[in-house]
Amino acid sequence: MSPNDPDASRFTSATADRRGGRDLDDLLVQVARGDTEAFEAVYDRLVGPVYGVIRRVLRDPSQSEEVAQEVLLEVWRTAARFDPAVGGAATWVLTIAHRRAIDRVRSATAAAGREHKTAEVHTPHDEVAEAVEASLDRERVRRCLDALTDVQRESITLAYYGGHSYRQVADLLKVTLGAIKTRIRDGLIRMRDCLGVS
Amino acid sequence: MRLFRHDLHSLSGAYALDALETEAEHDRFTRHLSRCPSCAGEVRGFREVATAMAFAAATEAPPGMRDQVLAAAARTRQLPPEVAGESRARQKRSRAWMPWVPWLSGAVAVASIAVAVFFGFAQAHTQDELDQIRAQNQAISLLLSSPQVTLLSKSTTEGGVATVVLAAARHQLVVVTNGLPALPAGHVYQLWLIGKTTTTSAGLLPAATDGRTPPVLATGVVKGDTLGLTVEPAPGSAQPTTTPILALPLPV
Repeated sequence: MSPNDPDASRFTSATADRRGGRDLDDLLVQVARGDTEAFEAVYDRLVGPVYGVIRRVLRDPSQSEEVAQEVLLEVWRTAARFDPAVGGAATWVLTIAHRRAIDRVRSATAAAGREHKTAEVHTPHDEVAEAVEASLDRERVRRCLDALTDVQRESITLAYYGGHSYRQVADLLKVTLGAIKTRIRDGLIRMRDCLGVS
Repeated sequence: MRLFRHDLHSLSGAYALDALETEAEHDRFTRHLSRCPSCAGEVRGFREVATAMAFAAATEAPPGMRDQVLAAAARTRQLPPEVAGESRARQKRSRAWMPWVPWLSGAVAVASIAVAVFFGFAQAHTQDELDQIRAQNQAISLLLSSPQVTLLSKSTTEGGVATVVLAAARHQLVVVTNGLPALPAGHVYQLWLIGKTTTTSAGLLPAATDGRTPPVLATGVVKGDTLGLTVEPAPGSAQPTTTPILALPLPV
């Protein structure tokens, strides 16, 4: 299940990602031509973050598995739509994954279960901290999140990991809408610089 | 509400994290990006941050998922690359094909799909089933609302009629049937996309209610495909094992 190469799923630095990223881009281009071995390789490299981020947003394991399967199948089906000139393969796949998780959350907003999520999200930073293991990715992201102001950090984690809209984030943090938009953007700019994203 | 340009810019972060409030707001910002290269660049950078956050949240997926995804991929047709100019030719062909089906049968088909969708809800027992039906219905209603759909219908050689709503641009179709003969136990009706070189399963027809089967959504329809229907031993076959009782060329 886990990739043979321990480095395979690492998002270590911008340069390393560019190197590994190009490799992954090539694989995804091969997937678009119906190469099943390339698809297996893409699966092994990205299933961890795909499932992980969906699980973070949806929480429910069986729904998360269902959405993750849909996303990975969508990657297979629509690989021809991937354009390496616009962005890397990992970003393309994980943008789809997060978007599908959010679609599921938004379509089920009226359903039960959302309430207990709201109750739990008051400690988003602790959740991040909990999830931090020895992994370099986690360390780096945590270090960069730690460097943000509290409101920046909480608004980014509530939005991305918690699946909340910026209006919900504003309500949860008792900050105005305008301020939340700015905090999210400023926080992401600082994250971008801290992570060395070009 | 009118937004000042400055306000629109400040949404780039929320947009990159999928945190805008509504589809409409999301679409409006997407349109804005096509006119604002610096915003598009900013969003690209933010999405890389989001990717790093996804990697930081990496979790081992449930065992068995890999086999399921690879098996599903093996029976899922891929979308062909978009070729410029192709869609115009396709639209022209679709329009030429339209008069082939009387308008009324189209309206009836759409109505029967709507009824069948509703029926699916009534028959769902668990939250999972309900979610699945909801997702499928969302896909079907998207298809039905696409600007260019073609309605086709044809009798099978064994009686009964299959009606197809084809959205060529989306590479998707929805099939409903009416009046197909009931099958002996242990047999199922299976749909196929029969291409020039390969034949792919497009799913099983669900059990009929009052002679009608609930809609089945098939994806990955490509140029040259024919929709086929065969009787197969349950739970369906990897490739057709009997002569199709219906072969409907698809004007994609």
